[in-house]
Amino acid sequence: MAEDIVISGSGLRKQFNENVIAVEDANFTIPRGSFISLVGPSGCGKSTLLRLISGLIEKSEGDLLVRSNEVVGPRSDIGMMFQKAVLLDWRTSIENVLLPDEIRGTIDTDAKKRAWDHLQLVGLKDFEFSFPRQLSGGMQQRVALARLLQTGADIMLLDEPFGALDEFTRERLNDELLRIVEGPDITTLFVTHNIQEAIYLADQVFVMTPRPGRIAAQIKIDLPTPRNIDMTTTPEFNNYVQQVRDVLSGHLDGQPL
Amino acid sequence: MSDIGSDGVLAGVKELSPVQKTLAHGLVFLVLFGGWELGSRMGYVNELIMPAPTSIAYRLYEMFFVTGSIYWHYIITMYEATMGFIIGVSIGMGLAITAAISPVFRRYWAPYAVVFNVTPGIAVTPFIIAWFGFGWSSKIALAALVCFFPPFINTLTGLLNIDKDATELFRSLGSTKKQYFQKCQIPSALPIIIAGLKLAMTGALIGTIVAQFFSASEGVGILMQRFAFRLNMDGSFAALIVMSLMGLSLFTLMEYMDYKVLYWRRHSRMEEVSAKRKKQWLKQNGDMSQA
Ligand SMILES: Nc1ncnc2c1ncn2[C@@H]1O[C@H](COP(=O)(O)OP(=O)(O)OP(=O)(O)O)[C@@H](O)[C@H]1O
Ligand SMILES: [Mg+2]
Repeated sequence: MAEDIVISGSGLRKQFNENVIAVEDANFTIPRGSFISLVGPSGCGKSTLLRLISGLIEKSEGDLLVRSNEVVGPRSDIGMMFQKAVLLDWRTSIENVLLPDEIRGTIDTDAKKRAWDHLQLVGLKDFEFSFPRQLSGGMQQRVALARLLQTGADIMLLDEPFGALDEFTRERLNDELLRIVEGPDITTLFVTHNIQEAIYLADQVFVMTPRPGRIAAQIKIDLPTPRNIDMTTTPEFNNYVQQVRDVLSGHLDGQPL
Repeated sequence: MSDIGSDGVLAGVKELSPVQKTLAHGLVFLVLFGGWELGSRMGYVNELIMPAPTSIAYRLYEMFFVTGSIYWHYIITMYEATMGFIIGVSIGMGLAITAAISPVFRRYWAPYAVVFNVTPGIAVTPFIIAWFGFGWSSKIALAALVCFFPPFINTLTGLLNIDKDATELFRSLGSTKKQYFQKCQIPSALPIIIAGLKLAMTGALIGTIVAQFFSASEGVGILMQRFAFRLNMDGSFAALIVMSLMGLSLFTLMEYMDYKVLYWRRHSRMEEVSAKRKKQWLKQNGDMSQA
C-alpha cells in the first residue's frame, strides 16, 4: 500500500429529516499524517461530517471507516476541538487538561507530567493553575488544545478551533498548531470558513457546497513545507484560492441565497 | 443598610462622598424613627396600633437579656424551619435528579410537581395540622412543603441545560453517564441550584411561622400571636423583629455558602482558590518544570 489510509468514506450520507440532507454522497480518503482543510459556506455540513467521523452521530447511509473499522461510536484515537474552548469553569487549566485521563481512569504521575508538558508546549507556562475565566479567549483555546493533546489521539478533528479569535491570535495559533501536528503520525481534519487559512494550513482542501452538503472538490496543495506567511502572496497560492472560489461560485451561481 | 450598586436601583442619585453618605443615611434614619417616636409619645399615633420604637427596643432587650424568654421559641422555630428545609430540599432535589436521569419520569410524573406548586402551599395548612397534629412535626411538614419546589425546578433546569458542546466533549472522551453527571452536570448546575436553595430557605421560615399561627404551643409565631391577642403591641413587634433576625441569619448563611462553593464566579475567590490548588499540586507533585 502506497499510502496508509486512516479515514475513508464512500457514498456517505447523513439526513436529519425530510428536508435536511446535511451530507450527501461523500467519497474521500484521508492518508495518515496528512492535514486536510474542510472549507465551505455556513450550513453546508462541515460540522456534521466531523461529527460523523468522531462517532458522535450515526450516518444514514454509505460506508465510513476509521482504521478499516466501521465507526460505531466515539473512539480514543480521535480527539475533538470546537470553536468554543468548552472548559469546565470550576477547574484550573491543569485540571481541565487532565479531564481525559480522569474519565479513562488513567490518572497518575506520568499523566500529570504529560499534562504539565502540554501546557508548556501550548505556551501556558505560569497559567497552569488559572481558572478559565481568568484567561483570555486565545489562552482558553490553548488549554483546549493541550487537553486535545492529552487525549493522545492521533486523529484530530478541529471545528473552526480559532474562529472566534482575532486575526493576529488566530494566525499565531495556526502556526503553532502546524508545528504540533506536523510529522507522519498525526492526521488532522480542520474546518474553516476562510479560504486562505484552509490553503495555508493544508496538504489537501476539501471544498463543500450546500443543499445537499457535498464534497464538491478535493484539491491537493503542493506548496513547500513548512509553510510561512510569505507564501500567501505567491502566484501559486493565489491560484489555489481562485480554484476554491471557482468551485464555490460555480455551485452557487443561479442558486437562491 | 448597605447601598445597592450605583448602577442599580440607585441610578440617577447624585454620588456623594462617604461622609456625606453616612450623614444622609443618618438623617433619613433620624427623621423616620425620630418622627415615629415623637408621634407615639405625643399621642398622634395610638400605642395600640404602632408602639414607639423605644418601647419595642425595650421589649426586645427584656426578652433577650432579662427574662431570656425568647431563646426557647427562637431555637424551636429555627429547628422546625431547618428540618423542613432539609426535608423539602432533599425531596425536591431527589425528584429533580430522578427526572433529569429518567425521561419517562420527567414526562409522566414531573407535571404533578408543577400543579402542586401552583396550589398555594399555605392553603394546605389545615390539612397538614389534621394529618401531623399540633406538635413540631406539622410545622416541619408545612415548611418542607412550601420550600420543596424551588430546589426541584432549579435543579431540574440546571441539570438539563448543559452546554451542547460540553456534552459532546464528554461523549467524545468516552465518559460514562455517571462521570458526566458528577463532573459536568452537577457542577454546571450548582449556581442555579444554590439560587433555588436561597428561595427555599425563605420559604421554610414562612411555612414554619404560618403553621405556628394556626396552632402551636411554642415558637416565635405563636409568641407573636399571643402578644397580639393581648393587645401587647410592643411584644408583637419585638417578635416580628426576631423573625427578621432569623431570616437575616439564614440568608447570611446561604450567602456564605454561595461565596464558598461558587468560587469560580468571583475574581477574588478564583485567585484565592487558584493559589491554594497550586500549593497543593506542588506539595504533591513537586515542580515539574525542574525535572
Ligand atoms: N441535529 C440536527 N438536526 C437537524 N438538522 C441539523 C442538525 N445538525 C445540523 N443540522 C442541519 O444540517 C445542516 C448542516 O449543518 P452543519 O452544522 O454541519 O453545517 P456547518 O457547515 O458546520 O455550518 P457552520 O459553518 O455554520 O458551522 C444545516 O442545515 C443544519 O441546520
Ligand atoms: Mg459548523
